[in-house]
Amino acid sequence: MIVAKPKPFRKIKQFTDPYENILVVGCNTCVAVCLTGGEKEAEQLASKLRLHRRHQGLGGTVDTITVLRQCEHEYIDELKEAVEGRDLILSTACNIGPQALAERYEDVRVVPAMNTNMLGMVKEHQTWTEYCVACGDCVIQYTGGLCPIARCAKELLNGPCGGSQDGRCEISPDVECVWQSIHDKMVRLGMADDLKKILGPRNWSWSKHGGPRTFSKEGFKP
Amino acid sequence: MSENQSITRSFARPVSGDDNLRPPCEVACPIHTDAQRYVQLVAEGRPAEALVVIRETNPLPQVIGRICAHPCEEQCRRGQVDEAIAICNLKRVAADGVKAAGLADTPPQPDYATGKRVAIIGSGPSGLAAAHDLALLGIRSVIFEKQPQAGGFLRTGILEYRLPKAILDEDIDYITAMGVEFRTGVAVGSDIGFDELAEEYDAVLIAVGLSLSRSLPIEGVDLEGVLLAVPFLEDVNAGRDPGIGREIIVIGGGNVAIDVARSARRVSGGKVTMVCLEADYEMPAHDWEIRDAREEGIEIICSQGPNRIIGGERVEGLELKKCESVFDEQGRFAPSFCETELQTVTGDTVIIAIGQMSDMSFIPEAGPRLDERGLLVFDWHRRATTMDGVFASGEVVTGPGAAVNALAGGKRAAISIARYLGLDVDYPAEPEAIGELPQHVRDYQVSQAPRRRMPARDGAERIKDFEEVELGLAEVDGRCEAARCLLCGSGARYSQLKCVSCLTCVRVCPYGAPWADKDGLGGIDPAVCQACGICYTQCPARAIDLVVRSEADITSEIEAALADGGALEFGCWFPQTRVAPDAAAVMLPCTARLSPGLLLKALEAGADKVYVAVCSEDDDGRFITGHRQTRAAVDEARAVLEEIEMDPELIQLSVVGEKKCAGGAAR
Repeated sequence: MIVAKPKPFRKIKQFTDPYENILVVGCNTCVAVCLTGGEKEAEQLASKLRLHRRHQGLGGTVDTITVLRQCEHEYIDELKEAVEGRDLILSTACNIGPQALAERYEDVRVVPAMNTNMLGMVKEHQTWTEYCVACGDCVIQYTGGLCPIARCAKELLNGPCGGSQDGRCEISPDVECVWQSIHDKMVRLGMADDLKKILGPRNWSWSKHGGPRTFSKEGFKP
Repeated sequence: MSENQSITRSFARPVSGDDNLRPPCEVACPIHTDAQRYVQLVAEGRPAEALVVIRETNPLPQVIGRICAHPCEEQCRRGQVDEAIAICNLKRVAADGVKAAGLADTPPQPDYATGKRVAIIGSGPSGLAAAHDLALLGIRSVIFEKQPQAGGFLRTGILEYRLPKAILDEDIDYITAMGVEFRTGVAVGSDIGFDELAEEYDAVLIAVGLSLSRSLPIEGVDLEGVLLAVPFLEDVNAGRDPGIGREIIVIGGGNVAIDVARSARRVSGGKVTMVCLEADYEMPAHDWEIRDAREEGIEIICSQGPNRIIGGERVEGLELKKCESVFDEQGRFAPSFCETELQTVTGDTVIIAIGQMSDMSFIPEAGPRLDERGLLVFDWHRRATTMDGVFASGEVVTGPGAAVNALAGGKRAAISIARYLGLDVDYPAEPEAIGELPQHVRDYQVSQAPRRRMPARDGAERIKDFEEVELGLAEVDGRCEAARCLLCGSGARYSQLKCVSCLTCVRVCPYGAPWADKDGLGGIDPAVCQACGICYTQCPARAIDLVVRSEADITSEIEAALADGGALEFGCWFPQTRVAPDAAAVMLPCTARLSPGLLLKALEAGADKVYVAVCSEDDDGRFITGHRQTRAAVDEARAVLEEIEMDPELIQLSVVGEKKCAGGAAR
């Protein structure tokens, strides 16, 4: 799931303060599930903005509306009426959302309230950990189902570095050494010898390094 | 096959929001009073609104608030934790509160546009209820009562110490003020013919109750000093000398026998002994009635049947034979005795209180048909007799029971009569109750809080007169008692359409009420939900709201409270020390349901300061995570204020020191 974190309010207010008629648009998919940008959070951000603007004597209007997913044309088309007359849209979606809104509503400035953080897995309630970097060439079939690209600070493909200490990464004792975990898993699977095979160089052009990616599924097109 | 299983599983799981399950108290109540709602209003100190809720279904709120057999309390889920809510006593708290505060309780003025008139024979609870409900439907009733005053057995059978006449009068006056006409001192059959009523009125309701006492076919029953329960109670109630001695034996183990014994104790000032066939645990009288009788020094001899009444001219005693069993294998009344195991109780008076029957002598030959036992032939569904336009309700058709059952019968008869007279009204649907509290919830997760006892006069003191025994709960005790209500079925409601299947509710609920399966289908089990509101405050998609004190309710209360600005205090229903006595207040079942958004909303609505009164971490308030949840909401809202350079002190969290209601959450 896409995880996004709110931008610091001092940044948000910088680009919202000059505007008079603001619409906060929430997104009820990934950012709702990661508890940062769904309907509740969008409403709370709108409330916060209104209090801030009243406190600063700024006036103006701040309203809020939430769609199921901001990355779908059909859903954001429905915002037409709500967007009418606004001079700023503040999106609490991941950073796909504000771009989609900016494309759809060409004459309105759209700004993000969030930073897309990662593709993560919930570890415990309200805590997510990065599991995937969308590199485009998954190798976890060789690594016990654990990703050495997303979960190793150095993105090492062939075993841990010298900084692996008691299963933790040298960058922080809070970070697991995924190569220790890969090793343990492969031992458990009776496949530890497979780790002696060297993984060759990857095609990084399938990652972001090859430019913006697109994907088109084959099959019936309406 | 696998698909079928999947479908069964999905639909078999309980889902709140798409059901109409009601609290078990309401379902158990024969007239389905929304007890939960009025109990909540009492908790909040809003007696007038509570009385309005009571009056929606109950035409005799003061009477029923004193003498109800309260089947609601037997089903109360709080009773699965510690003790049932004192629902009946709280009805009295509501009515007493309205009177004490001089609040309005104005009878509606029905529009009798139908022009129809109904004759009701009998002014007991069933007849009164029918007349009341018919009036609301625009049908005028005339009640015929053979006694000089209305009330039926409520007046002649129940004594002042349980139901003061002034209270009964007030309830009847309310019905009178609605335009119901009473013709008291008019006996149908002798003063006016049944045929005349059937002729003159558009419909007739027979609600004559059980006005005759049953006697016993035993030796000595004709001796001087042998009395029957009903005339005895009538005499005592009317202030006449019932002619009893100082050593009274009451035969019977039901509620009427208890009333007879307690009255005899007061009238005679002497010794009163009750004798009944049943063993202690089998006695048909309510436990609390038996307790009251014992407190008044009445001896109860169980498992003994009357063999003969001993005496010359006047009673000298009662010979008893041991009763070995009261019921046969099918549970039917079939007492068996040991004829040789005899004992004697001495006494100068025997009062027989073994049951009652109806006096149907007023029914003419061509009237409604009676069966071979002299009972009305009767259609239960329509409360109709065999004669066109003649209906029946109350104990005349049900046999002995609680007053509230008689009310229910009268209310149903009113609908039947209205339908008979061409009105487009329907019988109310029977509500269905939510399930029992799961074991883990009742054992570990609901705070123990003792039931508030009804203060009563001391047994030795109260037998000296006929003044009311129960004194009524003080307002603060009533509110504490009401706040014990678990709000069964009134907690979280979930919208499948808005749900994003994020699992937050599943993870935060301390009770395990929400569930979700691999397909993202989910729900919140209303039988488990304790209405704490935590899932509602945490749901990121706003797919959850609460039935009682919904987001919209709280928002409008905040706005109303802050109409003139000023400070606002959020607190809970438990009457406790206000942390900001001068602030406007919004009281919730628990502050656990405050979200940061609601706190900010209060500031947006113009509060210049927001106080949150929270229970200490030690007793943790009403719900398991109440304190932590409240604190988290306040901390988050204060952090927001800091970020926008407002003073975080605008929101104050105060731990309530003195709590007037004992009892914290179980861990």
